[in-house]
Amino acid sequence: MPLFDSLDLEVMSHSFAAIAEEMGSILVRGALSPNIRERRDSSAALFDARGAMIAQAAHIPVHLGAMPEAVRAVRLRRPQPGDVYILNDPYNGGSHLPDLTLVEAIEDGGEIVGYAAVRAHHADVGGMSPGSMPQGATELVQEGLVLPPVRLARAGVVDQEMLELILANVRTPEERRGDLRAQIAACAAGAAEWRALRARESPERIDAAGKALLDYTERRARTEIAALGDRTGRATDVLEGDGVTAEDIIVAAAVSLRDNLLHIDFTGTSPRVAGNVNCPLAVTRAAAVFVLRTLLDEDVPTNDGIARAIEIVAEEDCVLNSRWPSAVAAGNVEMSQRITDVLFAALGDAGLDVPAQGQGTMNNITFGGAGWTFYETLGGGQGASSQGGGPSAVHVGMSNTRNTPIESLEVAYPLRIEEYTVRNGSGGAGFFSGGEGVLRRYLALEACTVTLLSERRRHAPRGMQGGGAGEVGRNMLNGVELAAKCRVSLAAGDSLSIETPGGGGWGEPVSNS
Amino acid sequence: MTGSSVGVDVGGTFTDVVSIDDDGDVVARKVLSTPTDQSDGVIAGLRALGIPPAQCARMVHGTTVATNTLLERNGARVVLCATEGATSLLELRRQERASLYDLTRHHPPALVPPDRCIAVPERLDARGVVRALTRGGAEYVASRVGELHPECVAVALLHSYRDPSHEHELAQALHSSLGGVDVILSSDVLPEIREYERTATTVAEAYLRPRVARYLSQLADRLKADGFPAPAVMTSAGGMRSAGEAARSAASLALSGPAGGVVGAAAVLRLAGFADALTIDIGGTSADAGLITGGKPLVESGGDVAGVPIALPRVLIDTVSAGGGSIGWTDAGGALRVGPRSAGVRPGPAAFGLGGVNATITDAHIVLGRIQARRMSGGITLDIAAARRAIEALAGKLGATVERTATAMIAAADAAMARALRRVSVERGVDPRRCVLVAFGGGGGLHACGLADQLAIRTILVPPFSGVLSALGLAMAPERREGMVSVMLSTEALGASDVAALARQLSQRAGAADDPEVTREWWARTRYVGQGHELDVPFTAGDDGASIARRFTEDHHKRLGFSLDRPVEIVSSRHAVTGQAREPRLRRAGGSEWSANSMLDTNAPLDVRISGLAVVTLADSSMLVAQDWTARALPIGGWLLEKNAG
Repeated sequence: MPLFDSLDLEVMSHSFAAIAEEMGSILVRGALSPNIRERRDSSAALFDARGAMIAQAAHIPVHLGAMPEAVRAVRLRRPQPGDVYILNDPYNGGSHLPDLTLVEAIEDGGEIVGYAAVRAHHADVGGMSPGSMPQGATELVQEGLVLPPVRLARAGVVDQEMLELILANVRTPEERRGDLRAQIAACAAGAAEWRALRARESPERIDAAGKALLDYTERRARTEIAALGDRTGRATDVLEGDGVTAEDIIVAAAVSLRDNLLHIDFTGTSPRVAGNVNCPLAVTRAAAVFVLRTLLDEDVPTNDGIARAIEIVAEEDCVLNSRWPSAVAAGNVEMSQRITDVLFAALGDAGLDVPAQGQGTMNNITFGGAGWTFYETLGGGQGASSQGGGPSAVHVGMSNTRNTPIESLEVAYPLRIEEYTVRNGSGGAGFFSGGEGVLRRYLALEACTVTLLSERRRHAPRGMQGGGAGEVGRNMLNGVELAAKCRVSLAAGDSLSIETPGGGGWGEPVSNS
Repeated sequence: MTGSSVGVDVGGTFTDVVSIDDDGDVVARKVLSTPTDQSDGVIAGLRALGIPPAQCARMVHGTTVATNTLLERNGARVVLCATEGATSLLELRRQERASLYDLTRHHPPALVPPDRCIAVPERLDARGVVRALTRGGAEYVASRVGELHPECVAVALLHSYRDPSHEHELAQALHSSLGGVDVILSSDVLPEIREYERTATTVAEAYLRPRVARYLSQLADRLKADGFPAPAVMTSAGGMRSAGEAARSAASLALSGPAGGVVGAAAVLRLAGFADALTIDIGGTSADAGLITGGKPLVESGGDVAGVPIALPRVLIDTVSAGGGSIGWTDAGGALRVGPRSAGVRPGPAAFGLGGVNATITDAHIVLGRIQARRMSGGITLDIAAARRAIEALAGKLGATVERTATAMIAAADAAMARALRRVSVERGVDPRRCVLVAFGGGGGLHACGLADQLAIRTILVPPFSGVLSALGLAMAPERREGMVSVMLSTEALGASDVAALARQLSQRAGAADDPEVTREWWARTRYVGQGHELDVPFTAGDDGASIARRFTEDHHKRLGFSLDRPVEIVSSRHAVTGQAREPRLRRAGGSEWSANSMLDTNAPLDVRISGLAVVTLADSSMLVAQDWTARALPIGGWLLEKNAG
């Protein structure tokens, strides 16, 4: 009898996914900072002993294809069974510095039998501005403490010296300590469940099931690509400056569906830039995995099998494959959005039925004052599609974080939300209209600084099939328009208003005549 | 109180009725449900019981009327009054999209459209009044609300969890301008921080109240005409409330039916001498997983019903689309899949002979010889050949044998259910291996061993009245009242006298119970300062802040695997006053015609032991005793299954 019978695939798929879900749940329930606990800017994933991701809890798309890089980087350090590593270096397994990733090498019988990985966006990791999402950074080291994969715990015991070194380099050490504790607990829970599953089913059977599940997922992805037919398309879009200059940065992609694979060639994209909108290749790959994922049936499991159906060409040192010491904070949040926009546009050019462009930005807002930092991102309009109007006031593309409740925010920080409403009329016109953006107006109750990293303030989200563009977003301080990316000081009584972009419309609007 | 207590559970197919008389003896009946008017089925069920109306002392109803109103979106015309600047909270939700990867999907529409949300010129913040609500402002709002002709008005203002004065002032203006229209305040419904959840719950109450009240009053009239007592209703939290009170807490009825199942399971569990269990209620289209700790169903706050957040206490239930009607199929990757599509009751499994051709879980059980009865409720005769044909067709696509295919289908359904059972237990710090599995519903007995093996559980209870356990739970349900207040204080600031005062305040809020023999319980929703998730920590009037903090720290460590050296705060506190349950007296008659060839539950002698592999035929369902398991007929009826040592 074979070790693993393919008829049991669904059983194993449930078992693996349950472990990743459990890790994610422990993280969100145990974390201290609003960005993790309320907004759920975090992901949890389970890997087999060879470092292939076999399950990821559905949280944040930008973490989707990027987590395997973290495990790869840790494996290169030759971890001992039971070690927990921490990292955030974008050029060594990370994405951008605020995303602290913990990887536990799961020990069983003195061997490493898998990896539990948990990534969470921390509200501050040091660097030149509170919140570690600076505008105008030109070197990685300005953006915060850089952690290559380093050991944080051994055999369940945290290395206090390493922890103190990390906490000495951040602005809100106690909050970080609590969040890291929750991350460690989430990894430990994943490890315990993985050991229990292996004990129950036999290690050989579990290993065989993991391989079979990855093959199955790849097969599903390739089958669905094949069903779309051989085709090619291309598109170009721009990012509105790198935070140092406002000059447009070109993102170009040619896509081709052939040999049951999605081929993506980013040749023609701008070289890496001085400011921090550069992407390490892991983030670029995450965007590509996300786009393919949206083309697949929803029941396809989320694991490394999807990435196997994609081939990416990105020239060395281009803005989508940047190198040390380039700064990257906004690459993860803003350039990743533009990559998905370009890929959808190219697939549309190839004749696929894809939605119009959504808001194409996460509207990153970071406040910093005496003893506090607060980071949030805002939803906007989704693009309309052949299926109907675009959803309003949601995160699009690579993010899916929740909002911060007004009451929680006002209890914790010297800010008041004067207005939080749907921005009516911002969605593009069309046979189906684009989703609406939002308006959020903050009143500063104390002096503080604000860093904005936003997009689609000049170039509106485009419509599809004759649909109109969505409204561009706007950032206003006391009624005066601010740049898309900027850092400003607020005095008590200042009012900052953020209007997020609407989504593009789909199809020609029906005239009223 | 003398006389029978009757439980009536209205489901999609059957209406189940159970009565417990003064001696604790139990009678159960099943009649067909009447979806156009649920009360027809209720009356038919009561008649089938054959109890003279005068002997029926109380009737507890598990109703789906609130759930269906949410699903069908046909509730009241509600106007929402919200703080100026924050009138689109229902549309904004929590900003997350309806589907991570399907970019075209929308959330279900809000219960109140934007043009029926009225801005109130006022503002509180976390410290005090920022903008006072003037009398003129309140009157202006009331007149605008009146123009919209609401059936019900919801008021949810920012920070009202800590200061309800603006909501009260506005309510006064609304009452004097609108007369008899109900005005529902968020500070009454859910005095807790987080404006979206509080607003949505308040709106749900307003949306449901008129329709629920109408249904309950019509039902009461019909029952009265037949001489039955006024109905009481089961709440989502597993307690019973009079129809009048239930009509004023309509949102707390959203899980009225399923809660009864866990309450019934808890009762049988206690009678069998156990305290901690996972429960699984397996029906035709879905399965409900629940958790019992210390002999009581776990009650928690929060969660969605039909896409509507209702953050009120509820018996923890995690529903998955897996049941007897779940269809097996092969996907584009060539894998065997089960569900979420279900053949339902019509056409139902192929074996029902009602036109179904798809291979369902029920067909798989039949092919494996695990359902031996040939007749089922509703006059259905099983067609074994049809079941085999359906599974054969699927097996052909997979290149596997019929038996292997059927086994794999059942294992896949078990895996989906096991995942839900893990969620309800592990996420709450409960180790499933230390629990008994209580398996009931039409499929409970068939899946019990498979589920237990996946969860490494070694003890299973298949309760008596397994097919009507929800109705039994309803008949037993004690009266339960709840009260809640916002606290928002550090435990360091709470001395013993503050905690005693809090307990008193809550008792007043909950109101007096009719039953003098009540149990009073208090919980503090507690977290580390800065956290966003709370744990419900039990306390009593004798506690102080420090003892609550200690209990919180222990619980945090147990559930999440760590604790922190940080101050602890209490967000809100709730109180439940519970009357006495009507405990049934369950006993096995003890049969005489027991034979290994036809194992009928009703014929089983006391304490008879059966080693797996074996199938026992229960009333309306079957029980599989798997390899390496031994079943014992319990004196209370039902069966205890234990994993053999080794």
